[in-house]
Amino acid sequence: MTGRTIVITSGKGGVGKTTATANIGTGLAMRGHKVIVIDTDIGLRNLDVIMGLENRIVYDLVNVIEGKCKMNQAMIRDKHDYELYLIPAAQTRDKNSIEPEQLRDLCAELEKEFDYVLIDCPAGIEQGFKNAIAAAQEAIIVTTPEVSAIRDADRVIGLLESSGLHRPRLIINRISPEMVKRGDMMDQKDVENLLAVEVIGLVPADENTVVAANRGIPVVHDRKSASGGAFLRIAARVDGEDIPLMDLEPKSGIFSKFRGLVGMNGRAYSHA
Amino acid sequence: MLKTGVVQVAAKGTDVAFVIDEEAPFDVVAGELREYLAKQNGLWSKGNITVNVGQRMLARDELTQVKSIIETHSGLKVTRFWCSPESLGTGDFQIEAKAATVESSANTSGAQRQPPAHNEIAVPESLPDLPADSISAVESVIQDLRSRQNKNGARSRNRTEALFIKSTFRSGESVHHPGDVVVLADVNPGAEIAADGDIVVLGSLKGWAHAGASGDTKAVIIALELPSTRFQIAKYEGISPTTARRKSKSSASGPKIAYVRSRSIHVAPFVGRFARYSKGVPYDG
Repeated sequence: MTGRTIVITSGKGGVGKTTATANIGTGLAMRGHKVIVIDTDIGLRNLDVIMGLENRIVYDLVNVIEGKCKMNQAMIRDKHDYELYLIPAAQTRDKNSIEPEQLRDLCAELEKEFDYVLIDCPAGIEQGFKNAIAAAQEAIIVTTPEVSAIRDADRVIGLLESSGLHRPRLIINRISPEMVKRGDMMDQKDVENLLAVEVIGLVPADENTVVAANRGIPVVHDRKSASGGAFLRIAARVDGEDIPLMDLEPKSGIFSKFRGLVGMNGRAYSHA
Repeated sequence: MLKTGVVQVAAKGTDVAFVIDEEAPFDVVAGELREYLAKQNGLWSKGNITVNVGQRMLARDELTQVKSIIETHSGLKVTRFWCSPESLGTGDFQIEAKAATVESSANTSGAQRQPPAHNEIAVPESLPDLPADSISAVESVIQDLRSRQNKNGARSRNRTEALFIKSTFRSGESVHHPGDVVVLADVNPGAEIAADGDIVVLGSLKGWAHAGASGDTKAVIIALELPSTRFQIAKYEGISPTTARRKSKSSASGPKIAYVRSRSIHVAPFVGRFARYSKGVPYDG
């Protein structure tokens, strides 16, 4: 078995890399694949919290790479009944504790055993980023429809391309359909035109994402929620299924209809 | 025009040029040249001559040989050599060219040496590693024959090949090219392009662009969309106008050209010709 190693990155922090990793990983596992997610954000580990596996950590990524434990000792199986595993980051070390080659070798090992190896990349473009992208054959960029996040995504795409990761795909996270409709937020087309990469998913801003993260249960478990559904579709697209992107419709209320009538749909943001 | 295989002699008014086939090996050229001059002995009894070596990369002693062949077999005196900037960059002349221009290109920022403007390089008079008499007499200035013959009167600027950037030029990427730069996509915010020649963007120019980076104020920036807030031509800097009236005028969509007129940068709709500059909107902040 040869799995695919996919890095999930963004450049800017706080746009939802870790949430996306947890949800895409869970989504792929729900589709019946054997999946492992690796948190490479050494020193600032989060993925275990989002997945609700914090209490089960014994060994971590640095222990594995330094040979202090066997690979499968550091793998934590997901609480749910899926073939989903996590290798957590070390919290007491830093990004320089591992080398890109070491992570590449580890992922090559894991690819033999798993269908998907997802790497949760730390923010920034320094050592941690270099470690994370070294092992991957594919990349998914997470951005939000904000100029700062898009600027960083643009930079990261350039860096990925120069290190041989061509055709990264894009998730636009935290889209607020109401704001897009009012013209206060960039829409999918604007982002797509600027970054000139394929969009693999649109995730609406949804309170359920936050609630789910706090409870340690990725939001894909709630298929009916807006963001859960979006992440499930992204997982399907990663898996090769051809699902068209859905237009995010604002929840229609009297107020938004009224706004539409009086023509307040002008664009108020600017491209920097 | 006379033709003898690899060596062509072009006479144009009082100018005479020996144009030598770029593909032919040097020995053949030398032989042909000797033969031709022997045959035509008497015709070339007197005068100054320019040798155009084109793209070929001649070593210094080869140039000296050509010069001595011509001068011994006829009454001509070789005063100049012409060659293309590519051969200047890679040929043996590089050493001299560098020495001659090192001061003028002190602001060169990259690894790439900038061939000097106008392709005119005076070969220094004394070359210690060569017999003094062979070169010291050559007060040769190397020019690009073609730039001179260009009927369009194109500016005899740097003729280094244009650099084509074929995918989106992204934030954090930067390039300094000694010639023109053509981008077949967008230039995103945070990207930097510096070119000694013109910059053409077949997309939206949102990053920082510097045309005529080595000081050429005739350089232009052309873009299908020009929302960029900052760009530079030679030493002049364009800052997006902030007043509402100007903004509405200059931010109208469509291809734009930015150029320097009376010491400030102007931006005008690009209508396909360089000549229509006059209605430009001042773009100097």
